Amino acid sequence: MEIFIQQLVNSLSVASVTILIGIGITLIFGLAGIVNFAHGEFLMVGGMITWFLVTSGLNFFLALVGAMIFVGVLGFIAERGLFRFTLEQPMNGFIMSIGVSVILQHVVIRVFNEVQKTIPDPIGKVWVVGGIDIIAMRAIVVLLTAVVVATTYFGISRSRYGIALRASIADQDTAALMGIPVRRYVTGVFVYGSVLAGLGGALMIALFPITPFTGSVVIIRGFAVSLIGGLGNVGGAVAGGLILGLVDGLSAGYGSPEWTDAYSLVVMIVILIVRPQGLLGGTLGPRAT
Amino acid sequence: MKPRNLSAAIVAAALAWPAIQPALADDEELKIGVVAAESGSFVSAGNTIVAAAKLATQQINDAGGIKIGGKTYKIKLYIRDNRTDVNVTIAAARELVDDIGVKAIWGTETHDFSVSMAKITGAAKVLQFSGNSSLGAVLDDKSVAPGGWLHYTFQSEPQEWQRSGSTAKGVLALLTPLMAHPPKHSVVFVGNDATGQYLSSHYVKALEAEGQQVDLVKYPPDTTDFSPLLTRIKGMNPDIVHFWYNGDSTLTAFPQALKLDVAPAYFLFGVDPGIYQQRQLKSDKPVTLSCVPVCWGSSPYPVVQDYFKKYFDLGASKGPQSSVSLLYYDYFFMYAKALEEVGSIDKPDAVVDAILKMSYQGVVSPVPLTFNAHHQVTFATEVCLVKPGTSDQFNCTVEQPPPAPPPGDTGG
Repeated sequence: MEIFIQQLVNSLSVASVTILIGIGITLIFGLAGIVNFAHGEFLMVGGMITWFLVTSGLNFFLALVGAMIFVGVLGFIAERGLFRFTLEQPMNGFIMSIGVSVILQHVVIRVFNEVQKTIPDPIGKVWVVGGIDIIAMRAIVVLLTAVVVATTYFGISRSRYGIALRASIADQDTAALMGIPVRRYVTGVFVYGSVLAGLGGALMIALFPITPFTGSVVIIRGFAVSLIGGLGNVGGAVAGGLILGLVDGLSAGYGSPEWTDAYSLVVMIVILIVRPQGLLGGTLGPRAT
Repeated sequence: MKPRNLSAAIVAAALAWPAIQPALADDEELKIGVVAAESGSFVSAGNTIVAAAKLATQQINDAGGIKIGGKTYKIKLYIRDNRTDVNVTIAAARELVDDIGVKAIWGTETHDFSVSMAKITGAAKVLQFSGNSSLGAVLDDKSVAPGGWLHYTFQSEPQEWQRSGSTAKGVLALLTPLMAHPPKHSVVFVGNDATGQYLSSHYVKALEAEGQQVDLVKYPPDTTDFSPLLTRIKGMNPDIVHFWYNGDSTLTAFPQALKLDVAPAYFLFGVDPGIYQQRQLKSDKPVTLSCVPVCWGSSPYPVVQDYFKKYFDLGASKGPQSSVSLLYYDYFFMYAKALEEVGSIDKPDAVVDAILKMSYQGVVSPVPLTFNAHHQVTFATEVCLVKPGTSDQFNCTVEQPPPAPPPGDTGG
């Protein structure tokens, strides 16, 4: 029983990192209409910046803020300098993003080298509760993820900006006629998603070592989460992340461990066949703005 | 300078060039190719091949070059980035062999790529040195015989049963005295890719030959969160968890295992003491490490320490795979020696014969290097014990490989 509960705790932890990645992708993909395959590399850059700042002597939580700002600026430059010119042709943006991801990988290799990077666990504690090991840093990641989810959810559903954003997705021309600066909102969503990638990278390197190629691994799960939940739907990304986390945790614990990734992707395929719009529904995906 | 003066200077230089040229061209050029991943996901291993090749070349050339048939040859490297792509690897090998005319190629970092390249080098009678133990699966009497497609290919990493046997003996010898009872149950934790499957199959047999009951748990390549899998292993109550094969994955999984208190002892394959110290890893439980093939962080041999000093002085990265460079370095000197013995760079069959008869004292092993009839080298693997509770105190040993494959292991 202890092992089973431990696996559930593990699942929650696995899910929280995936949710953070998924939210950024679902916002950019579902709301801004940009298929950014380099989002994983944005996360990796966030991790590398965190590593650089921490190894330079900065406190981890300050480094985390630094990584968010750096990747946010990177996102701003990428949106204004590259993706803005592909909004009418999302497929062009997708291909461009693949190029951006390869370029970012090799820029990082040239700047920092190819060797795996890690930082000491910022908390370094393990709580044992009823025979269950709860790693403190993972608990903080779960907590921060919950805060990000709540902030993003209420920001989109309740705030003036969120309502305007949703209006511009529903009908761009009408929204523009009513004075909503649609292009600026696209930039804003892209930058916000990038800031979340920076946060995800900072939290990821607090849990696991990362390499210049980490982004290309996590991006698949990020897209899976956003598609399972419904593009542009924050609640959907949470549901998708929890489902994948649970499938990962329990299949690794009780199924054939080498098939762990396959189980998750089979679940995604089944959900997309049964509910093409995702579990909780969302926008219809990338579209010309 | 006025245009007229500039023209005059160029004409004068052109006239003087034939007089200057002989002095520069006293040395002949020996063209050697290197195909390795300088980009893409295998870059950690690929860069070590390039760095080793540069170091060996610099040392040979600085020492006066290679004296062959009354001429002095300086090595000129032609380095090609295979971008971790088999198609690029093939194209690079084709260019090096057909267009540039290299006499030998070093690389690559993976079995599939090396085999693809051997199809080209073999047909062109170009020697190939590849540090892939899995080549043992194709190096046999027929393939290495004159006319065989691997006649010019050399496996510069020991056979896997030898490495596994040497490693298993070293791990158990170091861990057993520190454990509450002699270890009986081992779990081998390995990435589920072609290399992981091949390597672990031999290591499981080697552990069983040492009396261990072994469970094999495979994880998907590129896993980052190992906690569910490690929790599963914890439920199996192992005496030792052996993190096998991929150093980067091991360095991701091991700290998670420590936090989840998975086992009373650990073995980390391919993790150098230098990296263990650099990462400030610390365990109250006994931990052993092995290097492929010898450690840069804690080598007992002065010659190895000297090698790594020069290697890192060239600007190479200090990573888990830095020691892999020693799967490539010594063979430059063996090849040079063989060329000198043969007296020509254009007799590849004679060079192959000379290498097969050669006993060469290299850096990688205190025992002289020799190739067997299947073109495979033999040397031991270094295993180090980390003193519990420390990050920087190591006790290293080198157990020589067993004389024959263990029961159930068909060799290769």
